[in-house]
Amino acid sequence: MAKSKLKMALAADKGTDFKKLKEKRQKKAALKRKQAEEGPQDSDDHSGAEDAEVAQISDESDEDEEYEDAEEQINLHGIDESDSSGSEVEMEERLPRKPKTILKPLNAAKPIARPGKAEDADSDEDEDEEDEEDIPISDLEDLDEDEKEDLIPHTRLTINNTSALLTSLNRIALPTDKSVPFATHQVVVSAEATADSIPDIQDDLQRELAFYSQSLAAVREARTKLRAEKVPFSRPKDYFAEMIKEDAHMEKIKAKLVEEATNKKAAAEARKMRDLKKFGKQVQVAKLQERQKVKRETLDKIKNLKRKRSESGNDMGTKEADIFDVGVDKELSKNSTGRSDRAGAGRGSKPNTKRQKKDEKYGFGGKKRHAKSGDFASSSDLSGFSAKAMKAKGGVSKSRPGKSKRKAMSTR
Amino acid sequence: MAAVYKSLSKSDKTASKKADGPSNGIKKNRQRVLILSSRGVTYRHRHLLNDLATMLPHGRKDAKFDSKSKLYELNELSELYNCNNCLYLEGRKGLDGYLFLSAVPNGPTCKFHIQNLHTMEELHFTGNCLKGSRPILSFDATFEKEPHLQVIKALFTRTFGVPEGARKSKPFIDHVMGFTVADGKIWIRNYQINEEEQSKVKNAAGEEEIETTEMSLVEIGPRFVLTPIVIQEGSFGGPIIYQNREFVSPNQVRSDLRRGKATRHNARAEQTVARLSRKEDLGLRTKGAQRQPKGDLDTKMMFS
Repeated sequence: MAKSKLKMALAADKGTDFKKLKEKRQKKAALKRKQAEEGPQDSDDHSGAEDAEVAQISDESDEDEEYEDAEEQINLHGIDESDSSGSEVEMEERLPRKPKTILKPLNAAKPIARPGKAEDADSDEDEDEEDEEDIPISDLEDLDEDEKEDLIPHTRLTINNTSALLTSLNRIALPTDKSVPFATHQVVVSAEATADSIPDIQDDLQRELAFYSQSLAAVREARTKLRAEKVPFSRPKDYFAEMIKEDAHMEKIKAKLVEEATNKKAAAEARKMRDLKKFGKQVQVAKLQERQKVKRETLDKIKNLKRKRSESGNDMGTKEADIFDVGVDKELSKNSTGRSDRAGAGRGSKPNTKRQKKDEKYGFGGKKRHAKSGDFASSSDLSGFSAKAMKAKGGVSKSRPGKSKRKAMSTR
Repeated sequence: MAAVYKSLSKSDKTASKKADGPSNGIKKNRQRVLILSSRGVTYRHRHLLNDLATMLPHGRKDAKFDSKSKLYELNELSELYNCNNCLYLEGRKGLDGYLFLSAVPNGPTCKFHIQNLHTMEELHFTGNCLKGSRPILSFDATFEKEPHLQVIKALFTRTFGVPEGARKSKPFIDHVMGFTVADGKIWIRNYQINEEEQSKVKNAAGEEEIETTEMSLVEIGPRFVLTPIVIQEGSFGGPIIYQNREFVSPNQVRSDLRRGKATRHNARAEQTVARLSRKEDLGLRTKGAQRQPKGDLDTKMMFS
């Protein structure tokens, strides 16, 4: 058993005496038994919650002790091979505990670092702890198959050699404490861990904001310190020097910015136009629907009337159609308002006189061309012609005076 | 005349230096950084190195390093250039970048994996700063909590902090470098410090002046994220004193992805085998797991 050997070696290194340990444990067990006997009496006095606590604590300690016992047992077997078969039974009973001892280091937290202190004695202890925590997988090969399934093996050993890290840190670290002026190092360490203010590392905005605020706080702190030390901080306006990004690069950035802005503007405009178009279309659709609705209503009315007529006046016979038409007209004129407005206005009340005159003069509606040219109808219309009138004396009727006389009359 | 002035001023300077040295009791912070990459880095890695070289006036850029196995040769190289720090970027497979930061003669070396790399040029940030001005280094509080992070912080201060009075450095401070530990990685940002107009207000006593200045930051770039992998005690060698167990190599990630895709094909292949075996069971093509012998009525015999 490789593991037991390893443990043995460790124990030998520490100089533990197994027999003494066993005695101690037996004593402890005896004590505990006593306590257990006393326990019931106490439980009457104490409150329920406390009882539960006590029970838990005792349970835990029991477990611990048991598994330590188990280890010890195994170790002892490792020493004397001539052990009896009775103890083997014991071992089998206790073996199920074993995975726990191995799993524990996996869950155990890393050794907490002690910043700023490089203590050799401390670090030795640390190393020992690490040795105990990490058990190579080769040491676990003597386990049963079903027990192996329960373990989560890790192949790589944790290497976190605190003492070596601290010594190398001391070797290279620049002095950043208060003994040296701040201007020599310009290092600012934030008061709080920035990672705490980032709820989700994948969220770009929050993450960058956290970084930004960390740096800004650092700048504020550094600025006060540097000002106290009389170190020039801000660059005067007339100090020109080479920059990290040369002019060509900045020009490129500016062009990019301008392009972005124009793109944004264009996109906004396009969206506006699209919305307008959509809205205009909506208006058009609404108008069409309105028209459709009116048409449907009138058609319905006509249908209703038709039905009424056909129901009421079956005996009317031939006259039915006339009456029907008249009735529809009335109904329509009564109900329809907007649609027939213009037509009604044209028919009912005449337009104003000026309009009339203009219409006479320039014409209104219909085809304007060829209105005065003769056609079949006009040439065949002989209503204004009579041979009698042509043959009448004088030819011209006396009712119309001569031109000069007419003029004189009008001026008068 | 000029020579006389020079010699006079020189003597003055040396005198003042000597006077300064013992009074402070601290030796002057002298840092020089050798900046170089391996062969086979991508253009982005190259541009990042260029950006870093412009930001570090105490840096010395060198040609690409030829070997990937004999990294200890970098020690000699940096001593050749009088550098006590080395920033070495190794490209692997034309994809992955690994950054080595080392304190050269016998200090520790830290190896990082570079991710989320964006160079100054491709980021189009409006910030700008003087070439060679000394940055303020802003560290997260987490850097003080664990020893390996402390070592990393010391390495960062040595490489990225421009020492006072460096040769090409400028006297004003106008940018800040931010180092933050989040998600087990180190995020690095570079901002310009933007100061608004100062307004001097006289106190009621009329003596003290309170200056209210609006500060804001504008990012300059580059941006990148480093995952620490290993810290070695020596410079490009020596025992490993820290290893990050959470780090998963990009090769592993890629192979896992590929394996995930391969399972689909495997499932299909299994289906084919299963189908064939089922057909055999039906006895359509075989009889008792063996092909049926050709009889006289077989199609091939009939119509041959």
